[in-house]
Amino acid sequence: MSAPPRRVSSPRRRPKRALEIWLIALLVALVATVQIRSQAEVERSLVGTDTTTLAFLIDDLHRANDALSAEAADLAQRKAALQTGGSSAADQELSAEANRLRAIEGLVPVHGPGIVVIVDASGLQALDLQDAINNLAAAGAEAIAVNDHRVAMGVAVVQTPNGVSIDGALVLPPWTISVIGDTNRLAEAADLMTQQMHSDRRVRQATYRVEADVVITSIITQRPFVYANP
Amino acid sequence: MARNRLLGILVVAAVALATGFLVAGQVRAQLLTPSNQVARYQALVRSVQDLEKANASSRAKIASLRSDIDGLEGAAAQQSATTRALQNEVADLRAHSGLTTIHGPGVLVDLRNGTPGPDVNGQIGYLINYQDMQDVVNLLFASGGEGVSVGGRRITPLSSFSGSAGQIVIDQGPPLTAPVRVLAVGDRNRMFAALEDPSALPDLRDREVRFQISLAVTGVPDVKLPAYDSSLQIPHVSTP
Repeated sequence: MSAPPRRVSSPRRRPKRALEIWLIALLVALVATVQIRSQAEVERSLVGTDTTTLAFLIDDLHRANDALSAEAADLAQRKAALQTGGSSAADQELSAEANRLRAIEGLVPVHGPGIVVIVDASGLQALDLQDAINNLAAAGAEAIAVNDHRVAMGVAVVQTPNGVSIDGALVLPPWTISVIGDTNRLAEAADLMTQQMHSDRRVRQATYRVEADVVITSIITQRPFVYANP
Repeated sequence: MARNRLLGILVVAAVALATGFLVAGQVRAQLLTPSNQVARYQALVRSVQDLEKANASSRAKIASLRSDIDGLEGAAAQQSATTRALQNEVADLRAHSGLTTIHGPGVLVDLRNGTPGPDVNGQIGYLINYQDMQDVVNLLFASGGEGVSVGGRRITPLSSFSGSAGQIVIDQGPPLTAPVRVLAVGDRNRMFAALEDPSALPDLRDREVRFQISLAVTGVPDVKLPAYDSSLQIPHVSTP
């Protein structure tokens, strides 16, 4: 009896099989790469950010999202009032909105709880005042005035040869910065700001006080748009 | 015979695919969870991502509600002259506070990070930061800008800038990182000249030289600015 012949792959089949193996290997590599890179892509924007920064970011985002939710709830309420109330409701909503926007844009006097910061210094520049105003705005300031000159984003705070000017008017030190907003957040920001100022040799005095009712009587004169179209 | 062969290939492919997923999962797990510290870091990153998603969703909802309200006010204005007059007044106030889109001649300012180098005064000099953005926006408004947006976020009278290292947080939005495009509508020539003035933006100019930070300005005949899509509440302010 002779032994059965051994199956030997024919030389013509070998390249085909090799191709199949290569294709499978390529597929495996592709899947693995896509899987790893897709995850890396999602996290790329935050990788390298230290945990302290992430924690602050989370805190800021929580606060921001709370504010956005409050705004959305307010808008939903206004929408419901407009849907059911007809034109008298519209008049009421529009009047309230006009008053609110005038206050936001600094077109009317305002008052409310807040803080008063006093900075006496020589040699401070417009950039220093811009920083202080931005710090207070970031702490939730809803209205700001410096030496009885109303300030909002868009009002020019510039350096002139004679000193700092706000909307064209010279503002000489000491600067009295009146701010309306959440007193806790504003006081926290003012505390940090005045502490930093104390280490600045140009600053003679930097203090703040919390007040139950800060009154801001100065207003901004609105300039009509010349270039912008709706 | 051929059918069996095809089946065999399919089985091998399926096994290979499953192996691929397993290998990838394993590699990822080993890369990312060697310690509790990394796991904690991952949890923080996930929290930020979730909060950013919620943030985007809330802003989209606010934009949609404002559009609905605008439509309802428009319908009411059709029925009453008083309402129409009020609506016109509010439309103007909304435009000035950034609540509506505007367009017109203006400039594009592109800011890009530079090349890493030794820090200056503890600051990471090669990264565009929130103070750079604040300086550019202030300069634009002081030079005839009537409306400005930063990275697609419209600036309002109450806007503020914050952040750390290369992150730029504007109002209630998620952090932006360079490259950032600033758009401004207004007196194009004045804004362009102010941005090109070598004595303006001294800190940025200095870092342009030290770290190759890039600030490119282009005049454009028609720039469109988006509407503000976040909160504009002033709960502590009263009018007399």
